[in-house]
Amino acid sequence: MTFQPSKQVYSGKIREVTLGIGDKAVTIGGKGVFSFHSFEGSIPNPPRIAMEVWDKDPSEDWSAAAKAPFSDVLSDPAAWARKCVDAYGAEIIVVQTKSADPNGDNRAAAEVAATVKKVVDAVDVPVIVWGVANHEKDVDVLKQVAENCSGKRAALCPVEEGDYKQIGAACLGYKQVAVASSPIDVNLAKQLNILLGNLGVSQDDLIIDPTTGGLGYGLEYTYSVMERIVQAALTQEDDKLQQPIIANVANETWKCKESNLSAEDAPELGDPTKRGVLMEAITAVDLLIAGADVVVMRHPEAVKLVKKYIAKMM
Amino acid sequence: MKLIGENLNIMSIKYGAALKARDPKPLQELAIFQAKAGMDYVDLNIGPAGKTGVELMSWLVPVIEEVVDVPLALDTSNIKAIEAGLKACKKNKPLINSIMVRPERMEALLPLAAEYDAEFVGLLWGPEGMPRDENERGALCAELVFKATGEFGINPERIYVDPIQTPVNVQQIQIMSVLEFMKMFADIAPGCRSTIGLSNVSNGPPDHLRPILNQVMLIIHKRHGLFSAIVDCYDTKLHEIARGKHPNLEALVHKVEDGQAIDMNPLTDEERQFVKTAKVILGQSLYSDSWLQI
Repeated sequence: MTFQPSKQVYSGKIREVTLGIGDKAVTIGGKGVFSFHSFEGSIPNPPRIAMEVWDKDPSEDWSAAAKAPFSDVLSDPAAWARKCVDAYGAEIIVVQTKSADPNGDNRAAAEVAATVKKVVDAVDVPVIVWGVANHEKDVDVLKQVAENCSGKRAALCPVEEGDYKQIGAACLGYKQVAVASSPIDVNLAKQLNILLGNLGVSQDDLIIDPTTGGLGYGLEYTYSVMERIVQAALTQEDDKLQQPIIANVANETWKCKESNLSAEDAPELGDPTKRGVLMEAITAVDLLIAGADVVVMRHPEAVKLVKKYIAKMM
Repeated sequence: MKLIGENLNIMSIKYGAALKARDPKPLQELAIFQAKAGMDYVDLNIGPAGKTGVELMSWLVPVIEEVVDVPLALDTSNIKAIEAGLKACKKNKPLINSIMVRPERMEALLPLAAEYDAEFVGLLWGPEGMPRDENERGALCAELVFKATGEFGINPERIYVDPIQTPVNVQQIQIMSVLEFMKMFADIAPGCRSTIGLSNVSNGPPDHLRPILNQVMLIIHKRHGLFSAIVDCYDTKLHEIARGKHPNLEALVHKVEDGQAIDMNPLTDEERQFVKTAKVILGQSLYSDSWLQI
């Protein structure tokens, strides 16, 4: 007798959301089964890897391992983004607007938005703009970004309960995609989607960011919440949660201690480059299994590993 | 169902201040209100009440007994304050609220319950904190009842087992575990009674939406045989439900629990809200603060 996997019947499916425009537009979501369960049903779009660039030179913050592949472009976000696309095959670019952070450089919103615009103009793949999770500043920056990038179908993140009216309105006004961000809580994720819906944001323009915890730093919480979201979407026909999911992976994994200790500081932890790359890749793979449709990544070696994984699983 | 009024509570701005100021009037008015509202017990929640617990409970019990005839529930984690309350109660035998299933709490409080022939709430909170599922609840319950009845000769009718109510918006799955536990309860603890801190189901959701969550949760508990509940003394509708005055709403919630298809069209707004609320409490749809609007 041949092996018959037990199959689950699903009653719902994740909506498709398209990012960007033209030939390089990317459609995410659409699956009617749990991640990679292609034996049970349809997965029209593979999960995607977005590569991140910072809008400021990150040399002070980054480990040698993270800087090495980008040493020639770290001070030029547009060139950096092009390198991600041309050299590493990035299908989506995420601009982290780190320079806007009021606790850091606190660059003016107009300046930040101008840098973002340069990146958007430099590449033909979709762009996701990720703020600093400060309501006031994100509203300032993302409103200008939305206006500057009118017609590009960029995605704006994080849209949180404290600023969804303003950023949601900017998404509506300039036809951008909203990334609804909630603090690792399935009920709050649902509530924010309802609020954005009430505001008029279409479910065709809505992505969920359940907030990412990296390996060793809360990964299991994010995993559970993502899994719960997908479960509600697929098996409970929870209309409000049938949205694609994004995970901001690199930003979490590369800031933890283990990704930054040098070989001298921590000889017992092995090669620092391999270590940082694996912290990132493992977090990404775990969250893809949990249900993420897009993972935001940094290191080209980690990207390569995860791409290989996706190709094998699809 | 027996109802225990929860509102005389150190956490309340009004009554907390009255407790601290030893001002009897607002507390007595509240107790009178609770008795009129049909509460079977008035809970006296003085919090942990470190140094002042003994003095506070000794003061409070006669203040309340002066104006009402209903029995009192002595609600504090301060063992000495419980003992002071037991000594002070003259009209009725009080209810100790509560005794956790932790060795040091049981050793200290069960002898007092026996000595004063007081009823007590046995809170299923073990050495490792809150039980994770119905089986752990069952194990804690068995341990408590075995000890109380066997070692201290306490009559099972004096024991009110509390399987712990969790909020619907963070721990919905634990609600299911409580219901599963209640199915086994009569076998695990024959003759024992049960109670629960009902309002915790709505701890977190917006204030104006708390009553309907409490009301639907009570309907579900009632069906599972819950003997009593610790409740909001101001929620008249809730009391009516406890007294069986809304059989139609109860039947509707039972239908949801049984997974029957419900045609929402002929229902009144209130009935629709009860259906939606039952679905989020029972995990058939995921809770969000706007659950009534979708």
